[in-house]
Amino acid sequence: MIAATLHFGSRSRRESARGAVRGVRRDQARGATALHRSSQSRPRARALARTSWELRSFAFAGAFILASFLLALLYLSQITGLSAGGYEMQRLQAERDELRRQAALADVQLARLDSPARIEAQVKRLGLVRVARVFVLSADALQAKK
Amino acid sequence: MERVSAARLRVLFLILALLSTSVAGKTVYWQALKRPELLAQAIDQVRTDQVLAAQRGVIRDRTGAILATTVPLRSLYAIPAQIPENERARVSVALGTLLGRDPLAIRARLDGGAEWLFIHRRLPEETARAIEDMHLPGIGFQAEPKRLYPNDTTAAHVLGFVNDDGDGQYGVEGAYDTLLRGTPGRLMVERDPANRALAIGVREAQPAIRGSDLTLTLDLGIQAAAERELRLALEKEKAPGGSIVVLDPRDGAILAMASAPTFDPAGVGVADLESLRDRAVSWSYEPGSTMKALTIAAAIDQRVVAPTTSYNDVGYAIIGGRRLNNALGRAYGPTTVTQVLERSLNAGAVFVASKLGAQKLYDYIGAFGLGRPTGVDLAGEVAGQVRPLAEWYPVDVGTAAFGQGLTVTPLQLAAAYAAIANGGTLYRPYIVASRRDAEGEHRTAPVAVRRVIGPETAATLRTMLTSTIDNGIAANARLSSFSAAGKTGTAQIPDAAGSYESDEYISSFAGFAPAQDPRFVTVIVIERPQSRLLGTLSAMAAFRGLALDALRYERVQPDRRP
Repeated sequence: MIAATLHFGSRSRRESARGAVRGVRRDQARGATALHRSSQSRPRARALARTSWELRSFAFAGAFILASFLLALLYLSQITGLSAGGYEMQRLQAERDELRRQAALADVQLARLDSPARIEAQVKRLGLVRVARVFVLSADALQAKK
Repeated sequence: MERVSAARLRVLFLILALLSTSVAGKTVYWQALKRPELLAQAIDQVRTDQVLAAQRGVIRDRTGAILATTVPLRSLYAIPAQIPENERARVSVALGTLLGRDPLAIRARLDGGAEWLFIHRRLPEETARAIEDMHLPGIGFQAEPKRLYPNDTTAAHVLGFVNDDGDGQYGVEGAYDTLLRGTPGRLMVERDPANRALAIGVREAQPAIRGSDLTLTLDLGIQAAAERELRLALEKEKAPGGSIVVLDPRDGAILAMASAPTFDPAGVGVADLESLRDRAVSWSYEPGSTMKALTIAAAIDQRVVAPTTSYNDVGYAIIGGRRLNNALGRAYGPTTVTQVLERSLNAGAVFVASKLGAQKLYDYIGAFGLGRPTGVDLAGEVAGQVRPLAEWYPVDVGTAAFGQGLTVTPLQLAAAYAAIANGGTLYRPYIVASRRDAEGEHRTAPVAVRRVIGPETAATLRTMLTSTIDNGIAANARLSSFSAAGKTGTAQIPDAAGSYESDEYISSFAGFAPAQDPRFVTVIVIERPQSRLLGTLSAMAAFRGLALDALRYERVQPDRRP
């Protein structure tokens, strides 16, 4: 790129000398302006290109860092969520175990209240007495009547 | 000067080299040689290897009522360092009041220097809640499994108990301990400083396998009735012990089994050792006259006598040179075999046994299951005592015929009577009807051990035993709306010297109802009744009360008009 620019510059100088012979000062002046213009725009383009590359690099690097950060954040949030979920699971398991324990205790209490020995003691306490005679209807006799 | 500097540099280099070597060596030592140990220590700090206790199986009666179950109860612990000095008195008093214990004793324990200690283990739930609500500092709870028996002492001997180590002892708990206890599991997990398991990290779990649930043949209603009747009989007779067995003669299922003295399976630590003995299976006695039914069954089955066969009763019999008297020495003259049962005549039993012969009598005693364990699925069964025939004296044929010189357990006698009741088949008594585990329900198949007597013999015996209640000595066992069959027994108690205790007896009654289609066989035994020879009256009263309750409870249609 630099070599090409130098070559272009020496050729312009030769053309300018020939223009003087022909007396075309305007052209000479035009050529000089063009030369000035071209010599001014090339570093700018180069600078622009360099800036663009740096920007791109910066953008890439920034994006990479941001993505890494976001990924790390995501990972951390996942891990934290998992850990918090684990604690929540444990809490729920403990709650389930306690409810099961309470249910088992309620079953025992129910069995205790249903115990024939306890009911008999209650019957005695209430002063209830046994039925002296139990009347039984014979199903066979009823069937025969039908 | 340069030389000195060079020397210093060399020394410095040497020192640095030595230091580097030392550091490198130490690094190799810790990183390579001691690595496993350090790694294990590091892992130990965060990882716990916990044994997961298996839930012990539930025991239910045949209706599904809970007889025994395991529930985690809260145990109260204290961390004394967390209780400020000025709070200890308040904590001790509060705990003492709620636990019904001496606050000073609690305070002494708190000041004893322990880092962590149990104050009270397995608290009743209400007490635990009350303590929890007080938010006492340095006080916490830890769940510990507790075997609970909701029916208190009911069926205590059948159930047995579980000791502090979690081992089943006696009864069903002892006999089925392996099945009931299950298989413990294991949980290896990493924990945080607050001892909470981490969701992430190493986690290896092998779940515990809970023990099998058992459903018994026992019926809580009949069991309660049996225990009530036994208690009443023992109270009336001021007797130190006794037992009742109720069998279903159709398959040998045990419907009720009571033994006294009894114990509380939840508080066995304070129980008298003798009260732990199940008198229905772990104790034997001379059956006395209840044995006559078996002797006569054998003789009728061998067709050496018939119910109408008669002999002349003179009040005694001579056998092997020994004279064996009837009770009170009474003579009845011409007497049939049926009347031998009705009047419970020792001389008549000797007459029948003489016809049968020693060998046959011995064979039938064995066939009825006496002298060997029944094989019931309960811990601690004894065989009773029947001496080998080779050791019998001639007189033993006579004494064995009316239940002396041999011993039986109440369960053996009930199984033998069940054979008469069901038409002649001896069933192995059993208590566990089914067990349920992860694979499903496994039912127990009744085991018919052998046919002992023919169906005709059994039917004849049922009629004769019915007559014993309707017309004979066991009239007090008569039921108002049902036929019943049975026989009383009064036996003397052998003493240490090989003779019998004077004026001490064991009264018993063995019977079944309804007589021709029996649903229950019952044996009742009362040790040393205060009414001596009349102790059988209390045994018969117990039979009457129990049989009527059981028959009504089972909705059996009466076969007689009241």
